[in-house]
Amino acid sequence: MTSGATTTQTIGFEIARYLPGEDRAPTLRHYDVPYRPEWVVLDALNYLKDEVDGTLSFRWSCRMGVCGSCGAMVNGVPRLMCAAFLRDYLPGPIRVEPLANFPIERDLVIVLDDFMQKLRAVKPWIIPGDRPPPADAEYRQTPAQLADFKQYSMCINCLLCYSACPVYQHEEEFLGPAVLALAQRYDHDSRDRGNSQRHELTWSDEGIWDCTFVGECSAVCPKHVDPAGAIQQAKVESTMDWYRSVLWPFGRR
Amino acid sequence: MADFETHEFDVLVIGAGGAGLRAAIESAVLGQRTAIVCKSLLGKAHTVMAEGGIAAALSNVYSEDNWRVHFRDTMRGGKMLNNWRMAQLHAQEAPDRVRELEEWGALFDRTEDGRILQRDFGGHRYARLAHVGDRTGLEMIRTLQQRLVALGVDVFQELTVTRLLTDGDRIAGAVGYWRDSGRLVLFRAKAVVLATGGLGKIWAITSNSWEGTGDGHALAMYAGADMIDMEFVQFHPTGMVWPPSVRGILVTEGVRGDGGTLRNQSGERFMFRYIPPMFAAETADSEEEADRWYDDRQHARRTPDLLPRDEVARAINAEVRAGRGSPHGGVFLDIASRRPAEYIKRRLPSMYHQFKELAGVDITREPMEVGPTCHYAMGGMRVDAETGASNVAGLYGAGEVTGGMHGSNRLGGNSLSDLVVFGRRAGMGAAQHAAGLQAVPALDSSQASACDESMEAPFRGDGKENPYTLHRELQDLMQVNVGIIRTDSDMRAALAGIAGLRERATRVKVEGGAAYNPGWHLAIDLGHMLTVAEAATRSALERKESRGGHTRDDFPNASGEFAKVNVVVRRAADGAFSVSQESLPAMPAELQRLFEED
Repeated sequence: MTSGATTTQTIGFEIARYLPGEDRAPTLRHYDVPYRPEWVVLDALNYLKDEVDGTLSFRWSCRMGVCGSCGAMVNGVPRLMCAAFLRDYLPGPIRVEPLANFPIERDLVIVLDDFMQKLRAVKPWIIPGDRPPPADAEYRQTPAQLADFKQYSMCINCLLCYSACPVYQHEEEFLGPAVLALAQRYDHDSRDRGNSQRHELTWSDEGIWDCTFVGECSAVCPKHVDPAGAIQQAKVESTMDWYRSVLWPFGRR
Repeated sequence: MADFETHEFDVLVIGAGGAGLRAAIESAVLGQRTAIVCKSLLGKAHTVMAEGGIAAALSNVYSEDNWRVHFRDTMRGGKMLNNWRMAQLHAQEAPDRVRELEEWGALFDRTEDGRILQRDFGGHRYARLAHVGDRTGLEMIRTLQQRLVALGVDVFQELTVTRLLTDGDRIAGAVGYWRDSGRLVLFRAKAVVLATGGLGKIWAITSNSWEGTGDGHALAMYAGADMIDMEFVQFHPTGMVWPPSVRGILVTEGVRGDGGTLRNQSGERFMFRYIPPMFAAETADSEEEADRWYDDRQHARRTPDLLPRDEVARAINAEVRAGRGSPHGGVFLDIASRRPAEYIKRRLPSMYHQFKELAGVDITREPMEVGPTCHYAMGGMRVDAETGASNVAGLYGAGEVTGGMHGSNRLGGNSLSDLVVFGRRAGMGAAQHAAGLQAVPALDSSQASACDESMEAPFRGDGKENPYTLHRELQDLMQVNVGIIRTDSDMRAALAGIAGLRERATRVKVEGGAAYNPGWHLAIDLGHMLTVAEAATRSALERKESRGGHTRDDFPNASGEFAKVNVVVRRAADGAFSVSQESLPAMPAELQRLFEED
């Protein structure tokens, strides 16, 4: 991938290096990388890892924006490194740091146990209630029913939204954008009957009501999931539900 | 001996793609203490990159479709070299596995009246691929991952397994290391399921990500398992060819399923010149008929753009070699002139963004440039169709690491279905094996210590070899000498080259420490890749014919003799390989009749 064409032009990189136990804090180290207009930041990092410093650590996998492994702060903005072109950062240098709001494991690799816990907490699976699928056939779900929540299902768990979220920065308990959008995806799925099992958590103060609707999550989402929209929608639904329960005692049944 | 972190389970699943997740779910549901180990993060396995869909004869839209038609398509696509029983079980059970995924929450695109919509793919007689846009693998892995989490299965992420442990001639567990710390971990287990996926990173141009280093293929061989069909490597016909940084990234077959066509530099739809006799009766022989087929399945035959992948890859290769290729050494894939922009964006949103963002190409306005890319290993560990059991007691397998299901060439869409059909069966097989054992087999700690020492080696000594350099040289060697078109002399050159690299690999030196050190990880993977490259090359030398994903310039035709055998390769404890030919299992008469109408 890195052999072939030669170039004399280079672009500077400032890359956060950090090895817990040995370094007291992350420090930016400067590197020069051959400039190729078709390269993305991930290509440059792989070049450095393969040719310059084999210890440079970062996560990546698919190179095509679907696995969600290669998130990092690029010039202070959460981005997928496989989708951030060098040509958009001329003349450089390009600063690459681990995603904000997470503990650092090494270099650009973050610890994401907290996210995995929260993911599990909102029961992201179909809860069929008393209406299991028909034997030997699929549930019927029309394109319109699917369109109601399909966007919320596009999440690739890249965590850019957590990195951009000003609430999560200060309140670790906040379930956060991706997890709340995921809950909304299942709540709105016409096959699911599990809303009541999720709302105790998602409609709580650690859930949607913690969000101050800054909208940064939706701005950085590479898959246009629009978690801010999902949270806003859930707030309206939660409010309607509350009014119904107060003003019309039988309304919830 | 150092004290190693040790865990004990009934069933240990290695690999958390579709096959591993499904196996772990089954084993856990059957009440076995189950753990799953994966070398990247949970949910990021290669399955996530699958685009087009999951093949299953649901018969919900096309009532003519049923498992027999799917079975027949699969066997013909594999040039009849498939293990018939695997192909039969696969075709019979895929619909249940799709409905099960749906029951667990998977999304599928729908027909107007709410049924699961299916799309056309190469080699499938009917539109048979259930899908959601062009991100079906992502949806599948999310669904399985969340089901796994709901069941409370133990997950060990970013932990790479380097050897299987044995107690005499049976499996006793596995040893691996945490990628973040380099610390060794021992797993004691009654049964192990290998579900480690593929080996594309042994070739230079590949759709595979860094994980695809053939670890599981190597682990199986180290443990004494029989490997079959290792000569068959699928070069997917349509990978990106430009720019260089994205070379090899997959372009889904769905582009052709949804109306895209292949053209050479003069704009000719050249596939009409490459229709093999085996598929002539069911393939359109004029552009007019091919275009009509998209709307009229009754009266028109399918477009040759959707011939099986081996046929299309060979055709593209021939066009490029004849000097009729595109500027960057591929051919053109054109959907822009054939479908409205809105349709393309709705049906192929990921492709639209992939080309727009990675290549600066708007596929609704201009053609793509594509060429073959190493995509999938048909060969792997030989397993029992019903249970996924290998010849090593306690060792099971499912998915790409196994051989037999796809014969010499896999049809698109048959991989995702393979994962869930045989993932479930291997999970069941392993669980039953574990349930039948009173105690976990004995642990021979000297095996772990030996592993520890060999892993330490790259930090010691005064060698100067760089693991990245060796890896790149291996990739180039295999690309040139054991690629789409092979000859005896090229492959012998490859064997000599592999031997040279193996010798240099003993002098690999890595900098830094054991904490999250990608150079060191690659140094460890390198041993696996050399082992698998040698097994594939030796198998390819043995098969003196052309068939499916194995094309030889010196034996350009299929041979009746080789139509009856699998090439089996084994690795002895001293590292020596032995290759033999063994008869295919005989297909029962009632299934054979399905092929007599040809």
